[in-house]
Parts: sequence; structure tokens; C-alpha cells
Amino acid sequence: MPLARGAIAIAVVGLGFAAFAQQFGDGNAQAPNPAAPAPASSSPGSPPAGSTPQVDESALRYFASQGDTRRVDAEIARLRALYPNWTPPGDLSQLSAGPVVPKDPLLDQLWNLYTEGRLAEMRAAIAERQGSDPQWKPPQDLLTALETAESRRRLINASDSEQWRTVLSVATDAPSLLTCANVDILWRVAEAFAKTDQPGRTKDVYTYLLTNCTDPAERLGTLQKALELLPEEQVTDLLRFERAGTDDFGAVRDELARRRVERASADSKQTATAEDLAVVARLAENESGAGNALLLGWYNYHHDNPAKALDWFKTALDRNGGPKAAEGYAMSLRALNRLTEAEAFAYEWRDKSADTMKAYLNIATALLSQDPPPRLDPPVVTRIVPVVTQQRHADGAQALGWYSYNTGQIPTARQWFRTALGWNADDEASAYGLALATQRLRDRAGFNAIVSRWRGRSQRIADLAAGRNPGRAAAVPQPIVPPPPETAPEAVVRSVEQVSVGASRAAPVVSRAAPAVVYETVSRPSAPVQVRTGARRNCAVTRSPGNLSADAALSLGWCLMEINRPLEAVAAFDQALRNGGARTREEAAYGKTLAYLRKDLTSHAAIAAAAAPQTTERRVELQATILAQRAVAAYRDGRYVEAILSLDERGRIVAEQNDLMLIKGWSYLKLGRYRDAEQIFRAVQRTGFSEEANVGLNAVQDALRPPR
Amino acid sequence: MMSLLHASFRRLRFASAFLVLAAAMQPLHGATIEQLRMTGTVSSSDWEAYRSRFVEDNGRVVDNANGNISHSEGQGYGLLLAYAAGDRRTFEKIWTFTLTEFLIRDDGLSVWKWDPSARPRVSDPNNATDGDILIAYALAKAGVLWNEPRYTAAAQKLAKAIGKNAFLRTGGSTLLLPASSGFGEDDRTDGPVINLSYWIFEAFPTLAALAPEYDWAGVARSGLSLLRQATSGRTNLPADWISVRNRLQTQPAEGFPPEFGYNSLRIPLYLLRAGMTNVEWLRTLNQRWSANNEGVAVVNVLTGAVRERLTDQGYVALSAVLSCALDGTPVPQALKEFKPQLYYPSTLYLLSMSLIGEKYPQCL
Repeated sequence: MPLARGAIAIAVVGLGFAAFAQQFGDGNAQAPNPAAPAPASSSPGSPPAGSTPQVDESALRYFASQGDTRRVDAEIARLRALYPNWTPPGDLSQLSAGPVVPKDPLLDQLWNLYTEGRLAEMRAAIAERQGSDPQWKPPQDLLTALETAESRRRLINASDSEQWRTVLSVATDAPSLLTCANVDILWRVAEAFAKTDQPGRTKDVYTYLLTNCTDPAERLGTLQKALELLPEEQVTDLLRFERAGTDDFGAVRDELARRRVERASADSKQTATAEDLAVVARLAENESGAGNALLLGWYNYHHDNPAKALDWFKTALDRNGGPKAAEGYAMSLRALNRLTEAEAFAYEWRDKSADTMKAYLNIATALLSQDPPPRLDPPVVTRIVPVVTQQRHADGAQALGWYSYNTGQIPTARQWFRTALGWNADDEASAYGLALATQRLRDRAGFNAIVSRWRGRSQRIADLAAGRNPGRAAAVPQPIVPPPPETAPEAVVRSVEQVSVGASRAAPVVSRAAPAVVYETVSRPSAPVQVRTGARRNCAVTRSPGNLSADAALSLGWCLMEINRPLEAVAAFDQALRNGGARTREEAAYGKTLAYLRKDLTSHAAIAAAAAPQTTERRVELQATILAQRAVAAYRDGRYVEAILSLDERGRIVAEQNDLMLIKGWSYLKLGRYRDAEQIFRAVQRTGFSEEANVGLNAVQDALRPPR
Repeated sequence: MMSLLHASFRRLRFASAFLVLAAAMQPLHGATIEQLRMTGTVSSSDWEAYRSRFVEDNGRVVDNANGNISHSEGQGYGLLLAYAAGDRRTFEKIWTFTLTEFLIRDDGLSVWKWDPSARPRVSDPNNATDGDILIAYALAKAGVLWNEPRYTAAAQKLAKAIGKNAFLRTGGSTLLLPASSGFGEDDRTDGPVINLSYWIFEAFPTLAALAPEYDWAGVARSGLSLLRQATSGRTNLPADWISVRNRLQTQPAEGFPPEFGYNSLRIPLYLLRAGMTNVEWLRTLNQRWSANNEGVAVVNVLTGAVRERLTDQGYVALSAVLSCALDGTPVPQALKEFKPQLYYPSTLYLLSMSLIGEKYPQCL
């Protein structure tokens, strides 16, 4: 009978598990009800007593007392299935040999319903009988069994819905549930204690379980539950209940070691013991997943062992460790100063997660910032630029600035420093770079503007203004030392030019065969005309827009556009963007976009266009121009697929344009898609652009002609 | 989100109605709530037809128009109808299921939804206050009739939990929140949001006796006052879900169709069952619902447009009981034989006919 134990267990929930556990510790044999079989001994290694207690044998006893051997057998089979360690009580034959109680068909029916778990119908049958026979009462054992079963169901439902207080109150009212036959219920009660901030009681439940319950799987399961819910020192404390011979809590000890390593893995100030590291290494070797390899990768990465980290991240990558593994692998290469490799690897993974993107930008910045400036393959710089731009990564922009500066491309450098400042206005290093570049370009007005903007915020800029430049080499922040432009290897210079935001250069010819394209199809706005005329008179004199009001800066911007000084106009529009109201910002963003478009700075234009909301009409117009420039640039760089994609995208928002159609045709031609190229050229031919189209068609014919 | 989910099941139901009649609303006077006897007012054949269709052997009341889910409202209606039919056996079944599957919330209220296809079956642990009230009310009645302290104790616990968690004291009155979370002042920009069909007036005196420390009379007063406000618009119809953020100008709650729908059409039934026949709005509605007018329908309360006319026996019974109570109109022949198809209108049918049987037998 579970009652005796239950009476004690009330104390468990109601009064506190500590008292209960103490009482229980040596009191198993003293269970007050002699009918209750003694619980299994808790001494390590001793076999369980003849029958495991606490299994609900009430129905079995009833069937035995009725001499119903068929049902007795069925019930024994059912209980064995539920409790594999259970053995039927030996006194059943006595029961059946006893005085035969007059058979009550309703009781038969009720016990049947009970064994089938049909509790509502049991209640209904009892109520019905009581309706016709008010004196009748169900036998106490039947009622207890029913109430306990209802409580179990309610407790499980409450637990599944995380209604922890209900779990505890049901357990308090139904202490007969809290036995080793119901380990799942004990686990749920323990969890309810933990979720209601009573971890001490959680531990008491586990202690009770480990002291009294014998099933090795359930005992290990208890430790695993403890790992989820209790602080580690308490879990460690519970390990002492391990029984030699039957228990194996090794997995729990491994998990504790793994957690210690995990905590130390991201914190270089914490170290893990060699034993713990060995445990995790063993776990990593014996698994097919990447988890522990990653852990060891990060541990070594953060503990000055990038070579070992690299090995573990390699293992993790081979086990489909994904972006986490890739991030670690890339950062380990970086830590090993294998920057070229790191950049190439990280580039492939940059789009896979925010962290791999961060790693890529970090590595690209480091690569560009090396001292002395490295010889970088042109494609490397080419691919860094759009990522930095798209991610608006100020450090990357600054690094491109220094790289340009150090390789003698001062206008480009100035552009990148400006960009960096646009993304991070407080970036003093970029401001310093900008000041240096501006000075080198002999742009006194621009230089003065920088100096005044940074007055009181940057000593070295002030020094520069005061002519106290201690020499370029020393002035440039580590690790960049700007070499004289003459010493920059020509190849490098070219590489930067290719990707350059290349300030004052005329747009290169697209291709000998392809036509030049007119980009600036964008018309200027008509709204701010009045303002512009007012400003036109004096805007030819260079001055910093830094102190102007938003509206004045806007006027200045348009004025500068009219006299075709778009880069200065950008600075003016920037000022208007910084300080203007919504309307002014819209105008300024529009102007800035036009300015960049005029200078062929497509990616900058795209960014500027997003700086303030635009009307749909303008947005389409700007977007179409940006896509056209992008396509031309891609074509120029030999990225024909991208050129086609940009043109397709443009084609979705505005009508096709013959010159751009020709570029598309040439792109197909370059890709060897001769039929597609031919189709395009024929379409252009039909619209009257026959001369240019014919050149293309001839090229297709040439390509298709079988070689001799 | 949770609240929308919670409120959505009723909108799935079947349905279908006309014209806007502008009738002047008279000020409501404090109506007294009468108690119903109820026992024996649902015939055993009608009950058997309902029970066999909508109540499973394990005591689960099935809403067969909503993916066979169950909800606290259904369990409550089931208990109430089993009580009215004098079927203690089924009452026990429904109660056992309700206790073990629904009454699991920490605050003592019932979860509102039980879905046989979900794991766990309770996928949203929020409550629905009308379900709580129905369950508590049925338990309280049954506890007395069958002298069963288990019922009475459970009714009392639930009544106190409702008072504690679902009453909202604000601006000098006491509101009934549709659920303990999701509808309050801080939960939504237009909160508090209420549902007038959750005011089951007939239950309030019974529950007040069990949980006298809560202001049930105040809730009844606020319900009548809000009903008057909500029916003072062009269509004279209350929306199912009403924002009372501005107490001087209630309006349809955001995120719900501005409709007099499946929820609200129970309001007249509840008023009549509580003996509050002097509520003036009932007369306005009676005209709208009369057979030669619009009839029972889902109506846009802003435009008066009819979205759906409701012709199931259960909805017609709502208009029949109203017309009977106000004008003594005999119950139409078509309602005399119960033909249950869907859980919700079938429930409304039995509740309506039970009331007619008890208080207006002359209409039969």
C-alpha cells in the first residue's frame, strides 16, 4: 500500500523535503503500515527486496479475492509491462482461498474501468449507483486508486502546461503518487520546485529518489534531470549516490566536465583542467557531430593556441559544423597571421551568418592594414569593396582608405575616409586620414573644414593644421605606414584603381565593341530651383558646408551640381541630410544620389538613395540609373552574369533601353550564350539601332563559325 | 496574439440576416436577477440526442464545428445541461474530464482550449472567463441538488479565482475581463477589451454567495451599463469585442470584425434567463429578429450590413424565446423537435427551450 509512504510524503511537499528526507533516510523499514512491503534497501549493490513496493496492486488484489484467475493473470501481465522489475505478491493464493465475498458485478466493472484508465466512466458508475442506493459507498481502496489516478493525470497535464503551482498542490493532496513506482511524477514535482525557485527542494526530491528507487535507468535519468535544473555543485553532490556495480553516472561526469570547458572556452581568464580537456577530447573523438570539436576549437582559440584551434575547427567543419566552425577556422587563420588564406576562406562563408560576416570584415580589415602594405591580388581587393560598402563597415572603409593612401591613390583614399566617417561620425582615425589626404590634394578649404570640425577632439589633426606634422610615417596610425606613392607597385595601384571609388577618373570605355552608355537619364528636380538660383552666385568659391543650415547646404549642393562639382555637392547634401527636416532630407538624399551617379560611384549612390525616403517616382528613377551603372561596371570588370542580373532587375522597373540591351547582348556573347546574344541583338536591330546591333550579330556569327 | 486566437473559434461557426432599425434606447434601470430552477427542464430525449452527439465517454464536450476541439465554455454548457436534464452520470463524466484536463492553471482558472490533435492537448494556457463562470455555476447548482461537497468546493474555488483574476476595477466600476491575460489596459493599445456575452447574469448571485468578497453586483451593473452604451450606435447592436479604453465612447475592438456575431447573439438569452426582461434593448432586438424582419444574423455594427443569416434551429430558438418572453408569441412548430447538428446552436437551443419550459410554458 502506498499510503504509509504517502503520509510521510505529505511532509515532502507540505512541510519541506529536508525534514522528510531525514526522516526517510533510515526509516524505510519503519513504515507504520505493516501491509506495506518494505522498500528496497538503499545500501549499494544489494538486490531489491522480493517485490518492489508501491506498485498499485489494488485491482490485482480485488480480482484475486474474487477468485477470478483470468483477470488476475491479465492484471499481472499489465503490471509487469508497466514495471519490469515487479514481481507479483506471494499472498494472492491466500486471498483467493479466503472467504469468498459475495460478488458485486459493479465492483468488477469498476475495477475493469480502472485498469483501462476510464476514470470518468468510473465516476459516472459510482454516481449512478449512489443515486439508486444512497447508502452505498465505494470500497476505500477503489476510491483511493481512482483519486490517485485522477491526480496523476491532472499533475501531468499541469506540468505539460508549465503550471507549476498546480503541480505542487496536486502533489500535496495526493502524496501516494510520490513513490518509486512513479518516478516520472517525482521528476515533474522536482521540476515544479525548481521552476518556483525552490532548488533545495528539487534536490531533496532527487535525493529521495536516489536513496530509495532502484531502476538504474531512472537513477541515471534523475541525474540528467538534475543537470537541467540544478547548479552544478549540487549535481556533483548527487553523484555520491552512485551505486557500484549497477549505476554508471559517467555520462553525467562527462557533461559536467564539458560544461566547465564550455564556460572557459569563451573566456581567456578561465582555464579548464587537463582532465576536463581530455574528457571533452574523448567526447569529440567518439562523436560524429561537431559540438565538442567546436568547443575545443574555441577553447584553444581563446587560450593562445590558434594552431590547435585550427585543427579542431577543421574537424568541426568536416563534421558539418557550419558557420560556427567556419568562423572559428577563419579567426584561427587570422590569429596565425595567415591573412591571405583567412580572407579567401572567410569570403566563401561571409553570407552564411552574421558572425561569419563579422569575421570576414575583421579579416579583410586586418589584411588591408598590414604593415608594410601587402601586394594583394586585384580580385581580393575587388571583392572586399562591395562587402564593406554593403555592410557599411566603417573600419573596413578606413582600412581601404589607408590602403589607397599607402599605395598612392590619394583621391580614392579621401573618398574612403569620408565614407568611413559617414558610417561612424566619431571615427577619429578616419578623420585624420581624411585630413592627410585632403592636405595632400591641396584642398585647403576641405582641410580647414576638417580641422574645424575636429577642433578639441583630435590633437593630431590640430598638429597637422599647425604644421607640426612630425612626418608622415610617424603620423599615420599603426599598422599603416604610408609609403611614398612613387614606391607603390604598379600592379597594386592598378588593382585599387579597378575597384576604385576612383574619384575624378572618366568612366572607362565599356568595351571596344559595346557602345558607351549615357547614365544620367535622371532629370533634376524642379522644386528647389528658386533656392538654387539664390545660391548660384557664390558657390563657385569652395567652402565647407559644415556650418551651414540644412536649407543653405541644400542650396549649395544644387549650386555645385550645376557647376559640375558633384563630390563637393555630396558634402553639402550630407550636411543637409544631417540637420534637415524630412522634406530637406529627401531632397538632399536625392541630390547626393545624383551627384554620385554623375561621378560613376554607383555603390555610393545606392547608399545615398537609401538615406531618406523618396517618392516612388524618384525611387524608381534612381534605382534604374543605379542598376544601369552597376551593369556597366560589372560588364567592364568582366562579371557578365552580374551585368545581366542587374539589367534584368532594371528591366522589371523601367522600360528597356537600347544601349543597355546591347550590353546585355555582349554579356551573353562573352558567356558563350550565343543564341541568347543573337536574340537580343535582333531585338535591338528591329528598333532601329541597326548599326550597333549588326556589330553584335557579326560577332555572334564569328563565334559560331566552326573553326578551320 | 493569444487573445485573438482565443477569440477566434467562434468566428469559424456556421451561420447568416437585414435592416437597421433605429429605436430609441431607454435608460436601463437596475434590474434584479432571478434564479432559475432548471432541473427537469431539458427532456431526457432531447438531452440524449445532445449527449450522444457531443459528449464523449471520457466526459469531453466536442465542438464539432471547430475541428472537434473542446473548450471550457463547452465543458461548462455540458455540465449545465446535464444538470438541467438531471443526468448525474454524465455530469460526473464531464466534471472528471474538466477537472483533470482543464482545471490545471496555477491561478485556479480553467484553460480555455483542448485540442485532440495538439501535443500537449492544451496549446494555449490562457483562460476564457465565460467558460470559468459556466463551470463554476453548474458545479454550484449541482453541489446543492445532489448534496455533493466536491462540487461545491470546486465551485467556490473557481468563483474566488474568477473574482481575483478576471474582475478589473477601473474608473469606479468592475469589469469582467474575457481572460486573465491579453485583454487588459496594458495588454493592448485599445485595452481593456470586453465581451458582453461573457456576462452570464444568472450565475452571478450563485457565485456571489460562494465568493462574497468580490463585487459580483458591480459586475452585473457594469455589464448593463456597457450594454446600453454599446447599443446606442446607429445599428443598436453591440460588437462581440468592445474596447472600453474610453469609457465615454466604447467602440469595436481592434483586430476583430466589428460585428454583432456568434458571441453577442447569446446576450438576450442570458438577460432573459436572468429574468431581466425589462432591459429596453431586448425590444429593439426583438423587432430586428422577428420572422418578418431581419432575423438572427451576423451584422456589421457600423454599417448594418448582414454578413450571414443564421437559420439553424438553435439560432431561431434565440429569437423564439425572445419573442415569447416579450410578446407571448408561441414557439414555432419547426422548433418543437430537436435536431442537433452542431454543438454551438444545439447548446443554444437547449438553453432556450429549457428557459421556455420553466418560465414560459404557455408559449409551447
